[in-house]
Amino acid sequence: MKNAEFVDRLSLTEMGENRCGTVAQIEGDSRFISRIVSIGLTPGSAFTLLKNDKRSPVLVFCRDTVIAVNHKESSQIFVKVES
Amino acid sequence: MSEIKTIALLGQPNSGKSTFFNNLTGLHQRVGNWPGKTVEQAEGEFVFDETTYKVIDLPGSYGLSANSEEEVVTRDYIQSGKADLVCILVDASQLERSLYMLADFVGIRMPVMLVLNMMDVAEAAGKKIDVAAIEKRLGVPVLGFSAAETERYPEFFKKMVSAIKTPVCLDSGSLREELVSGGELGEKTDDIISRIEAALGDFEYGVCERIWIAEKLLEKDKLICGVVRESLPFARKNAIDAILDSEEGRDGGILTGEAKYRWVSKIVRESATPKSIENVFSKWDRIATHHIKGKFLAFGIMVVSLIACMILAFPGMGIGFGMQPVLQSLVERAGNALGVWPVVISFINLVLVGGTCITICMTSFIFAIIFVFRILEEIGYMARFSYAFDNWLSRLGLQGKAIMPLFSGIGCTAGAVCGTRVLDTRGQRLLALVLLWAIPCGSKVAVVLFLASTFFGSAAPLFGIGYVALIFASFYLSSRLFGKKLVPQNERVGMIMELPPYHKPHWKMIAAMVGRSTWGIFKKALKMILMVAALFWALSYAGDGNVENTLLYKIGNAIEPVTMFFGMRWELFVSYLGGMFSKEASLGIMSTLFNHTGEAFSLVTRVAASENLGEALASTISKPEALAFLFASMFNVPCVLAMGTTYREAGSFKWLATIMGYYLALSLGLAFIGYHIGLLIF
Repeated sequence: MKNAEFVDRLSLTEMGENRCGTVAQIEGDSRFISRIVSIGLTPGSAFTLLKNDKRSPVLVFCRDTVIAVNHKESSQIFVKVES
Repeated sequence: MSEIKTIALLGQPNSGKSTFFNNLTGLHQRVGNWPGKTVEQAEGEFVFDETTYKVIDLPGSYGLSANSEEEVVTRDYIQSGKADLVCILVDASQLERSLYMLADFVGIRMPVMLVLNMMDVAEAAGKKIDVAAIEKRLGVPVLGFSAAETERYPEFFKKMVSAIKTPVCLDSGSLREELVSGGELGEKTDDIISRIEAALGDFEYGVCERIWIAEKLLEKDKLICGVVRESLPFARKNAIDAILDSEEGRDGGILTGEAKYRWVSKIVRESATPKSIENVFSKWDRIATHHIKGKFLAFGIMVVSLIACMILAFPGMGIGFGMQPVLQSLVERAGNALGVWPVVISFINLVLVGGTCITICMTSFIFAIIFVFRILEEIGYMARFSYAFDNWLSRLGLQGKAIMPLFSGIGCTAGAVCGTRVLDTRGQRLLALVLLWAIPCGSKVAVVLFLASTFFGSAAPLFGIGYVALIFASFYLSSRLFGKKLVPQNERVGMIMELPPYHKPHWKMIAAMVGRSTWGIFKKALKMILMVAALFWALSYAGDGNVENTLLYKIGNAIEPVTMFFGMRWELFVSYLGGMFSKEASLGIMSTLFNHTGEAFSLVTRVAASENLGEALASTISKPEALAFLFASMFNVPCVLAMGTTYREAGSFKWLATIMGYYLALSLGLAFIGYHIGLLIF
């Protein structure tokens, strides 16, 4: 899963609110990966971005639940946005 | 009842595990810590059909990784093989996400039973789940359940008994297929799983199958990597390291995670209605998660909660305070009429009656706080607190929801201490306890303000402001001193959490649960308060009513040279010690000592400062001494009940002693500084 595969690499924090997307790639250490995977975000999961505000954690709706992910770590999650 | 069976409860946060545990075990539970860890161990028991079942409530986590101490404890316990049955709880309304725990369990050879909890919520949301189909597919017992509905427990017992009688483990075959196929990644995985399995050879680790070990290796699980490194011969170890270092190996955590969710979604697709719950991110939640409005809303809810606590506590307080004079005069009259020795009457009134009444008053506030907190948690709002205050409190090493217990500390420290239970890790709870002791309860505020205005008159408001500043400074100090150990830097990760959907609270169940824990607290508190009251009474009783004939007077005089070091003459020092019993006692003792009223110390009686106490104090005590005493009172340890609940929550005497020692040092240190600065100024 090389970075070059994504032409329009967009991180979760760059996405607009109320848009739908799919997780494309998650970067980070194994600890972060295991935490984010176990809460339900894996490559391929479809989600809706509920809230993207610099001052608070990003909120996504995925697998029937609202998940809050710290802003800094959200920038390590790359997504494909549905047009 | 010769047989004892052990059931371990495993589940993600918000799976309803604590409700389940509480309803199963009722009053028969113990909270302590896991040997050598700062992780809470909750254990309980219930008897069914003449068999005793020991229930182990494993710390909640999203999966079986070993990232935090809690998860390590969970893993160690499961791997120990001590349980006769592992009961995995999942939230039926979020089946796909919460079944991840089950998927992570596949490959562990332990008898399992799956409980699909919150079936009522799932059904209300229009989800239909075919429990029998899931059971058939998994091959282990599965139960559709709702832990909040007590009438459904017989179904659980029936299933549980048969699950223990004929233990079945999960079959790892189907998950292995998913891991090997690699799903969308397909060929890119280059059959990495089989290659690791080949390198592992016939290596197995306790109850963990080879496939599970391979998964954890791919996830770079520290514990399993360590075990494998220690046990395998050099060549095979190297072979594994090479595989893990390869390009596909580096993304191992993603690969296994995807495979597990694929395995889960196949189960869900076959046995539950595919339609997912509509995303209902309401207007309300938009406000609740707004970076400014959310905080205002949270503050508003905190204030309302505090008021609700006071209203709820009011009847109990009224009974406690109202009973005391009635009972005491009754005892006195009866005692005198029967010719009972005065010493006995004094003991009954001051220790037994006084102690019981004060326990009733204090416990009623504890009841109110637990009740209100439980409701907020049950509804799902507690998680929003976490979200709103995460930025602020993470600086101290705490979760956002710590704001609730900290704030309610203004009402009652002992109650707020019980409220720290909302925090997820024991380290967090202990750190919150340390901070909480610095927050003055209503009574402490009253005492401090009384002293400040007595000694410094119109300058008293300055002391109020200074006090607040000192409290925040103490937060900083405490988080510096304790934070690193309690909440290690490597565990302080950015927030990744679920904001659970709002639920209707199950009033009956909450009331029963809160009633049970309050009763437990009351019994323990009563024992402790009576003991301490008896001790103080013995120290302060004088048959002739002369203060100089009390033990306390003698001890006080003897230690005065030491206490003067901190700027406190013995009378003040004894009042300071009395403040550890209750804040009012501190004033009561001063009343006795400085007005020479000649009565025995009224430690357990709620004696408001007598009218001329202020004058007596102002005329005898110098300003530097007053400053010392004021500082000492500000950071004095909270009352005896708060110590009791702290002991209960911390689960160790060592921690209670540590926190006490810290605040003794802090308050006496500040007294020392205040006294010596005072000597320079005045």
